[in-house]
Amino acid sequence: MPAPGRRMILWQIALGAAFLGAWQWGASAGALDKFFFSRPSDVLGRVFQWLIAGSIWTHLGVTLAEAFLSFAIGVLLGVVCGFVLARVPFLGALFDPYIRIANALPRVALAPIFLLWFGLGIWSKVALGVTVVFFIVFFNTFQGVREVDPLILNNARMLGASERQLIRHVLIPSALTWIFSSLHISIGFAIIAVVVGEYLGSSKGIGYTIAQAEGVFDTTGVFAGMTLLAAVVLIVGAAVNRLERWLLRWKPPPSSAEPPLG
Amino acid sequence: MTALALRGVTRRFAGYTAVEGITLDIPAGRFVSIVGPSGCGKSTLLNLAAGLLAPSEGSIDVFGERLAGINRRASYMFQQDALLPWKTVLDNIALGLRFRGRDSGHEAREWLTRVGLDGFGSSYPYQLSGGMRKRVAMAQSWIVDPDLVLMDEPFAALDVHTRLRMEGEILDLWTGSNKTVVFVTHDLEEAISLSDEVVLLSAGPGSRTVGRYPVDLPRPRNLIDLKTEPRFHQLYNAIWSGLREEVLKSHARTR
Repeated sequence: MPAPGRRMILWQIALGAAFLGAWQWGASAGALDKFFFSRPSDVLGRVFQWLIAGSIWTHLGVTLAEAFLSFAIGVLLGVVCGFVLARVPFLGALFDPYIRIANALPRVALAPIFLLWFGLGIWSKVALGVTVVFFIVFFNTFQGVREVDPLILNNARMLGASERQLIRHVLIPSALTWIFSSLHISIGFAIIAVVVGEYLGSSKGIGYTIAQAEGVFDTTGVFAGMTLLAAVVLIVGAAVNRLERWLLRWKPPPSSAEPPLG
Repeated sequence: MTALALRGVTRRFAGYTAVEGITLDIPAGRFVSIVGPSGCGKSTLLNLAAGLLAPSEGSIDVFGERLAGINRRASYMFQQDALLPWKTVLDNIALGLRFRGRDSGHEAREWLTRVGLDGFGSSYPYQLSGGMRKRVAMAQSWIVDPDLVLMDEPFAALDVHTRLRMEGEILDLWTGSNKTVVFVTHDLEEAISLSDEVVLLSAGPGSRTVGRYPVDLPRPRNLIDLKTEPRFHQLYNAIWSGLREEVLKSHARTR
């Protein structure tokens, strides 16, 4: 999206304020049952209460560590496999149906199995996150390497590039645009996946906190956990945007849509 | 010394033959243009000489050695933009030297000046005009000091005036360099003004060489005034009568 003008920002703030205001008013006036819907002021209050009390930081740290690990491992595996399968047509064709099948599996259903395999600690969550991140990054890298302009490839070959130099100077930079569009999505998915993992069985993490709140029908706690996560996803997304803008500075400034935040 | 020797070179693609039985010698140090109607396999011929394509039949020798794989003695200037868009102008120019593991900074800056792009070293290709990008491509392909320069309609996309300037710059670079240039174009005027010899290809598919015309215009040439000289017109008419026939054939076939 093009950077919104000052007037649009005001409208955007107005929309958000209207939504929260209606919710707040509805819950306070009794049109919405506070037990089911909580109230924005309560949710915000809870978030601050958590942040001040401090125990939430441990949970947040655990969730972020899991998300980071699954993101890092998933991206690494996805980029490497994407490269190899795109560059070695035999392997690409060989694995093609199996990758499709694996991608079609509902991976969230694997979460309990990962709990059995890797235990209640962070690694069962990381495993779940990796299965989600890997496929997104893999498909984009694969596509990116396949779609390298053959003309640029030929030019680099004529200038004397070895296969390694081709990878470093042509294939990676060319695939980077694709890889980045997958990073935006996979960051969000990595966090969602580990939270789902925590939710299903853990003793730490934001997912655990949300599950605890849900267990005692504490709607405010559930919303507060979600709010905290959303904020984290937005901050990480903005950091990726910066990195992307720097790494893709050779591209003409975008005239059309920017990829959405993860 | 023969820079490029093609012997009965045929190249087939799925379902059709691009060039057939081409035998052609290009002496070292000459500027040779290849002309022919569109779709006559000019680019195929150049890709064969570059080693980007392998001949289906026949053989290619480069300075007396059989060509297998990429032609290491040659540089290639492509018709479309082939610069690496993620590298700055300076890095693009230096690329060939860097691939060879040579320190490239100093020479690349020299070439930057030579092609008149001082101050644009840290720009990216998308920030340049079409003519400037061609200059970068020119420096990129000449910096590695190739013995053979292959050019595939490098200036086809430029406006007439920019084109005339670039043609002049190519001649300046080539003069006294002892390099062999194979220049593919569909523009007969361009071919005559630049080269020592014009090779005419027949209409495709399965095109072959149908004529070789030495161009005896004296050098150095003034490209702006050249086209008004009587000898230029004689040559033009002689080659055009051959080219005309092939163009008509190609029209008849594609109708």
